[in-house]
Amino acid sequence: MKTRPFLALFVSPAMLAAGALVAAMAAILQFAFRAFVPGSMEPGGFTFANFTAMLRPLYADVFLQTVAICLMTALATLIVAYPLAYAIVRSRSIPLKSFLLVTALTPMFLGEVVRTYSWIIVLGNSGFINSILLGLHIVDRPVQMMFTTFGVVVALVHVTLPVMVIMLAAALSHVDLDYEKAATSLGAGPVRTFLTVTLPLSMPGIVAGLTTAFAWTFSAFATPQMIGGGRVPMVSTLIYQLGFSSFNFPFAAALSITALALTVAVLALARAALKPLERLGAH
Amino acid sequence: MPAERIPPGAPALAPGAVGVQIDGVTKRFGAFTALHEAWLKIEQGTFMTLLGPSGCGKTTLLNLLAGFLESDGGEIFVDGQLMTETPPYAREIGVVFQNYALFPHMSVAKNVGYGLAARGVPKAEIAARVADMLALVKLSDFGHRKPKELSGGQQQRVALARALVIRPKLLLLDEPFSALDKNLRGSMQVELKEIQRRLGVTTIFVTHDQGEALSMSDRIAVMSAGRIRQVGTPDEIYRRPTDRFVASFVGDINVLPARLERRLGDQATVLLGTLRVAVPAETVEGLAPGAPVDLFVRPDALSIGEAGSGVPGTIAAHVYQGSHVDVVIDSPAAQGGRLLVRVPGTEAPARWPVGQPVGVTPASGGGIAFPPEG
Amino acid sequence: MRRPLSHRLITWSSRLFVALVVAFIILPAFVVTLSAFNDKAILTFPPTSYSLRWFYRAFSYKDFALGFQNGLIITAFASTIALVIGTGFAFALDRYTFRAKRTLEGILVSPLVIPHFTIGLGFLILAAQIQANRTFAVVILTHVVLVLPFVMRSVYVSLRNLDSRLELAAASLGARPGRALVTVTLPLLLPGLVSGWLFAAILSFNEFTASLFVTAQATQTLPVAMYNYVREYADPTLAALSVVYILVTATLLTLANAFLGLGKVLNVEHAR
Repeated sequence: MKTRPFLALFVSPAMLAAGALVAAMAAILQFAFRAFVPGSMEPGGFTFANFTAMLRPLYADVFLQTVAICLMTALATLIVAYPLAYAIVRSRSIPLKSFLLVTALTPMFLGEVVRTYSWIIVLGNSGFINSILLGLHIVDRPVQMMFTTFGVVVALVHVTLPVMVIMLAAALSHVDLDYEKAATSLGAGPVRTFLTVTLPLSMPGIVAGLTTAFAWTFSAFATPQMIGGGRVPMVSTLIYQLGFSSFNFPFAAALSITALALTVAVLALARAALKPLERLGAH
Repeated sequence: MPAERIPPGAPALAPGAVGVQIDGVTKRFGAFTALHEAWLKIEQGTFMTLLGPSGCGKTTLLNLLAGFLESDGGEIFVDGQLMTETPPYAREIGVVFQNYALFPHMSVAKNVGYGLAARGVPKAEIAARVADMLALVKLSDFGHRKPKELSGGQQQRVALARALVIRPKLLLLDEPFSALDKNLRGSMQVELKEIQRRLGVTTIFVTHDQGEALSMSDRIAVMSAGRIRQVGTPDEIYRRPTDRFVASFVGDINVLPARLERRLGDQATVLLGTLRVAVPAETVEGLAPGAPVDLFVRPDALSIGEAGSGVPGTIAAHVYQGSHVDVVIDSPAAQGGRLLVRVPGTEAPARWPVGQPVGVTPASGGGIAFPPEG
Repeated sequence: MRRPLSHRLITWSSRLFVALVVAFIILPAFVVTLSAFNDKAILTFPPTSYSLRWFYRAFSYKDFALGFQNGLIITAFASTIALVIGTGFAFALDRYTFRAKRTLEGILVSPLVIPHFTIGLGFLILAAQIQANRTFAVVILTHVVLVLPFVMRSVYVSLRNLDSRLELAAASLGARPGRALVTVTLPLLLPGLVSGWLFAAILSFNEFTASLFVTAQATQTLPVAMYNYVREYADPTLAALSVVYILVTATLLTLANAFLGLGKVLNVEHAR
């Protein structure tokens, strides 16, 4: 129909919210091209210095390491999340289904601080795992997991797991069980059925899950800050440091803008690279 | 078109009063034309069926009538009133949807009373009219239930009651039986027809099921590819189709290539080998004697005889149907290489065993000829 | 029915894997619970003596109480405002075509991929520029923008699952658009609206990174207060608070699942 009752009523609040977001992004962009005046909150004149500074190996390395951590986390999360998502969708027992669903989702709603703090207790030198290893005399010195990339990735996998499970489960729930039954009836074993039917059909969820996990990890702050403790620098911790320790907001803004551009670029690249895969599951 | 008939049993109305008039209505979706200039006049109280395969434009026409879509040309009148610019909520047209579209969060009584509440009818009157309507559809004791707690047939009756309680000028039924199982479908069809007749409401029924269309309608409009092909009584549609599409879409049909012998007045004869068959002349108008034609014959207008007596063939299979037997005959002379013959009684398999050569003869006047395709 | 040994092996090993994943998810919660009841201030496993003293400290610590209070205020405003904005916009998205529809949608869902520190820094700078330095309004605005994509999705999914023929039916029965909206559309959307609000509220209450940037001492939320605590103290007070957190969240989610059907809302199972 041509008439659109309530259109203005429905859309104008959304336009205000979008306007605020655009204004915030514009504010960052504007700051990114201003000079840093040490000891002052007010930025100086127009400059490109903030962007050229980023090319220094010190900062370039942080970007590379951040991308590497994000990739590792996204892949590890996929491997851990897939069987759980499958179990949630295919489980025939309603209580089991609910238990798995609530278990998988609860961490998402706990917030980064609570979750990361818990992992400090698990991974610390006098923490849970080391206490067990020492108690059983498997090792005689604590295994260093805090302040390592390994520790950060483990905690990040835990952080991104729920959203990955949601996306995979959504995709799997659209894969009709009859396809799997048909494959089995045609003589395919469970592995072949999975590889030739289930996996390709759930590809859209895998693509969505990987890209979202990447973006979330990139955005994570509390985990690298608390578990990395400054020894596993990521873009997010660097920005916070610049902003709240050295009050160099123009450089922090430039880093933020670059981080955003990088996220968008990586997501677009991932989408393009995974497109043929996704087409497999188009149905 | 033959003279309009007032359907038997219809309530007394102004004779020939037009209930619905569709004047050259067109609907396009992008580059696709879903409906090409449809023209149709429906008398008040008529049960009119729009019959056609999916994608033929029948549902589009229904949505245009209800006001859910806007046409790209043409006008629609209901009871003489121009509807084209009227929004759906002001059209006074009742709709029964394919999935019934009962409001799941309201009781049956609230569902039925919804249209009255929207019109600001006082509560007491709503209660009375809802009760009357539920009694009419035999659901008096179900007013407090939720739609989910009802069977498919009961849900359909609620949908019908909800559409009728507003005393609509026109009732639209969108494939209402497709969600019901076969047994229920038959009894619901009878019930719906009875109620429609009693209330005398002009009804437009959309279906792709030709059996349903033939058994329920006063008149049928056969549609295909966005066009109305033929409008007539079920018997006219079945016995006197005016084009090949209608002939093959409505009921089973055999197609036999033949030659036009001659035309005389409104009768013509065609030659099927040496066999001479009389057909109506109007469908072969403009063809010269000797021109190739296709002879369309219903299975019940063919009879099986000894080999050498008609179109040669060999018995291929029997399909037992209770009161009759459908005999499938391999025959190179027929289009598709097969003929279907409906033989009353159940003796056919014994008399014409599989593999026996036979001759098949069309009853005189039981066929209709069309120019060949292409 | 006896399937070949290899099939059963696969079945059992995949079950084992799922069990291990569940253990991985639960492990931190389990460990944090153990240490919350530990009497000692230093981590030891297994604890040698138990007490509730860290719970007392968590509840009596002033910054936590203030953070909790601030969090409630910010969450209530942010998720309600986001629900109103998100519902209206999801409606418009589902029903209408209008100019800049896709652009507007793109902007509003972009917080899903924009790093939270970027958003936090952006609103911090914006606030400084308009001299609204880190007031509640700034924090609430930031949270609205952050949770809006989730609310929009939740409402949009419910709208998609809503049979549009129900609204056509209402119209054919004489209901004007406003009446159809109030009597048919909104009641049927209610579960989606409630779960969207709940989703937004939980996310807002727990949001940390952007909040760290835009809150000040007076407006700090509970996660920010918790983060500041860890930087200063190493005792298990935070473990005790985490236990309370986990219990409340798990209870809320179980209730949401029971009453709203979490699976349906998240679109991981089909509405039947």
